[in-house]
Amino acid sequence: MKVRVANLTFSYGEFTLRVAGLTFAEARVTAIVGPNGAGKSTFLKCLASVLPLSRGAVFVDGQDLAGLSGKNRARLVGYVPQEPAFTFNYSVLDFVLTGRAASIPVFSSPARHDIEAAREALRFVGLADFEGRPFFELSSGERRLVLVARTLAQQPEILLLDEPTTFLDPRHEMEIMELVRRLAVEMKKTVVVTLHALDMAVKYANEMVFMKGGNVVASGPPGDVLSERLLKSVYDIDIGILTVAGRRLIVR
Amino acid sequence: MSGRRDKKTAAVFVLAAVLPIILLLLSLNIGAYRIPPKAVLSTIVGAIFPGGGEAGPSPYADILFRIRLPRLLLALFAGAALAVSGASLQALFKNPLVFEFSLGISYGAAFGAALSVVFLGRKVPPQAAAFVFAIVAVLAVLLIAGKSVSQIVSVLLSGVIVSAFFQALLSLVEFFANPYALQSLIFWLMGSLGQATWSDLAVTLPIIGVGVTVLILLRWRLNVLSLGDDEARALGVDVRREKVVVIVLAALTTAAATAVTGVISWVGLIVPHLVRMAVGADNRKVIPLSAAYGASLLLVADDIARGAASFEIPIGILTSVVGIPFFIVLLKKSGKIWL
Repeated sequence: MKVRVANLTFSYGEFTLRVAGLTFAEARVTAIVGPNGAGKSTFLKCLASVLPLSRGAVFVDGQDLAGLSGKNRARLVGYVPQEPAFTFNYSVLDFVLTGRAASIPVFSSPARHDIEAAREALRFVGLADFEGRPFFELSSGERRLVLVARTLAQQPEILLLDEPTTFLDPRHEMEIMELVRRLAVEMKKTVVVTLHALDMAVKYANEMVFMKGGNVVASGPPGDVLSERLLKSVYDIDIGILTVAGRRLIVR
Repeated sequence: MSGRRDKKTAAVFVLAAVLPIILLLLSLNIGAYRIPPKAVLSTIVGAIFPGGGEAGPSPYADILFRIRLPRLLLALFAGAALAVSGASLQALFKNPLVFEFSLGISYGAAFGAALSVVFLGRKVPPQAAAFVFAIVAVLAVLLIAGKSVSQIVSVLLSGVIVSAFFQALLSLVEFFANPYALQSLIFWLMGSLGQATWSDLAVTLPIIGVGVTVLILLRWRLNVLSLGDDEARALGVDVRREKVVVIVLAALTTAAATAVTGVISWVGLIVPHLVRMAVGADNRKVIPLSAAYGASLLLVADDIARGAASFEIPIGILTSVVGIPFFIVLLKKSGKIWL
């Protein structure tokens, strides 16, 4: 499904996020990049309706998200936070099951088909054997995968992932990004992901959105938009781009 | 490993189903007036199957059904109310240390009930007054915590302030009460199930019954709400509405119990934690088990209160004396349990 952002504004204290117009296409991965404080995560939370827009709208296939009930919105848009806000040591399966909240009536508990959906999601991220494990015993890489699985159990058409690779070692970073790509390619989801790792964005994203100071400064396929001048203006440091054997490498 | 865990969980559930009933039957034997166990049993059988037991009404029926039974039922219901609302609030505020006291509910309710008893001559039922002020206390806590309501420190801090305020108001009521009212007020504040009459219970038990039942129905929803506002909202939950429902139910059941029993502390903290230690954090198990074990715990506490000495020990003192050391141990072990 196609996501269109129109004149989105969000203000919090001194900070204002402004996105005049932007679209995210189905079966594509869009990476939102930019320095700390650029508003990437805020933008993602606005897309997820976790934060209320001050002005403007987010349309999914022409439908204004603000006009939908929480339940119906959750069937369209799934949000993967960076770190789960966690207090209780639920099992992996119990945790992934919470992704079914929109499909389960308030006074009910998950039924067999909900449990099946949760298991299916765990299989997709490669954690089929983990369902009985306590969440707190997982490594941070495994926790990220469980977070993705929960959002898959929600079965949304659009997946928004907030810095899914931060604090991960190179191998787990790549595993997560491979998974992100599979979400778009195999499941035909619209995938939007905020990233710090430019090399991951260049390697895995179909589209890139560059943000700075709450504004979008450039967007498009990496091959079209990426330039040393853009990186300099976004990050305020010199970042080189080398092309080796057809691959663009980011050099600092 | 998981098989053993399942067996343990099953055992905990079976025990939860039978324990309150067994304890109820045993507790009917305890009291100032000694009734032989056989006579207790035949009186119960006689009451359930008229004509089936001994011929004619048992001479003990009055003591058992008019004095002891309401008290025991109150213990069961109040214990369930306190434990379930504690467990629900812990999930809702995603903090294992929250319970009725931390939100000002207990002292708000205590003040309301005291106000009714001392100044209004019970014209406003103590349960109603307790509920009104329990809700006032919760609203005050939420207003003071304001936008940072998801930050637990500000909620706890507001709770401490509001509790202190209502404790002060309670002292004011005590100060102006006449000596007779004061005496009964102080005994009531220490917590006692001895006041239970059928007419009180006719109001209290249905309120608690409904409140606890609805919270039990919401048990899985509490798992979702315990993830925090942002995540729950992203999962499609109407967070504000469902939070209000849980808080109102917790305040309602606690207030209904407190209005008759007085202030009974720590049950809402101890029981949910014991249950989590036994079966894990899943609220689908924690909430119903808290009801059963909260009921059982308070019943046993009341048995001790009225059976251990020649005089009656106030049950609020008893639960505190046992509860606080337990809480200290819990804090020491906390790293292991939920972090």
